[in-house]
Amino acid sequence: MKSAVITVTSGKGGVGKTTCAANIGSALALLGKRVVLIDGDIGLRNLDIVMGLENRIVYDAVDFVEGRCRLRQALIRDKRAPELYLMPTAQTRDKSAINAQQMKHLCDELRSDFDYILIDSPAGIEHGFHTCLAPADRCLVVTNPEVSSVRDADRVIGLIEAAEKGPAHLIINRIVPARVRRQEMLSTEDIAEVLSTEIIGIVPEDENILVSTNRGHPVVMNGKSPAAQAFHEIARRITGEIVPFQPLRSSGSILQRLFGRA
Amino acid sequence: MNILQQLFGSKNSADTAKQRLRFVLIHDRAEIPPGLLDLIKDDIIAALSNRLPIDREGVTVHFDQQGNESRVLVDVPLLNANGRRRKAERPA
Repeated sequence: MKSAVITVTSGKGGVGKTTCAANIGSALALLGKRVVLIDGDIGLRNLDIVMGLENRIVYDAVDFVEGRCRLRQALIRDKRAPELYLMPTAQTRDKSAINAQQMKHLCDELRSDFDYILIDSPAGIEHGFHTCLAPADRCLVVTNPEVSSVRDADRVIGLIEAAEKGPAHLIINRIVPARVRRQEMLSTEDIAEVLSTEIIGIVPEDENILVSTNRGHPVVMNGKSPAAQAFHEIARRITGEIVPFQPLRSSGSILQRLFGRA
Repeated sequence: MNILQQLFGSKNSADTAKQRLRFVLIHDRAEIPPGLLDLIKDDIIAALSNRLPIDREGVTVHFDQQGNESRVLVDVPLLNANGRRRKAERPA
């Protein structure tokens, strides 16, 4: 199959970009796809620790770009899936260490060996974001059901369209169904409407995420928590499968739900 | 809003969030600062009040957006000969 470069971005920081990239990449790999995850956040790398691969870094993307290693040496194999690799980035360099042309070249080098090349973009709309946008065939924009991240998502969607990398697809992360029902949280429909953007995934708030990040095991790797299920569905939608959106499950006990604290 | 919510003065905050987002995104996308609307409103009042009996206090100017189209909506209530609003009620 033809390879696809998918950039995961958001504008605002802290909305769950890295968690989404790690889990969607892992879920695609568990579907049998050949996947490489590239950490695009030079100087503030985190995809390695979220994936639990931080101890295995020898070379990184900047080393490859600057000719200090071969492509394969900058890839860390994740044995939890048949074909899953991480390309970490440099922690002690700044965003200018890789430019847009070099990022495109890097992705082109990877295309022959992988079905999906996922890039975890840095927050913001500066140099690092544009570098990660340059090679993208498609973009996933992560937002939370909260005004500031939705506003920033709109800005990023505009920039993606201006760069002719659209249409962007939206992932609404950390939704709390009970709070939406109580009308104290923006609904997924509200967000899709104000952003005029199609949703590819709805990920409920899930306490398993923190635990899995603590351990370096993406939630999709083990268990069927609500977030894991949502990430598996996103992966299937990315492959082109039509997966209907499930009614959102609340976590929490029946009593908590009755009293609206779920 | 239900009676309980009214009693306790709380509002449907998801709806407030949606309205505020709509407003701010229209201005972000159009690259038009929200304060510009007040200046436009003053210009419209100045231009129309020379020709028509208008209710200056009732003039509203805002941006609206449908899909990818943005527009400026201006509502100018007229006064009748007695200085009263012509319409019994103005559109919300």
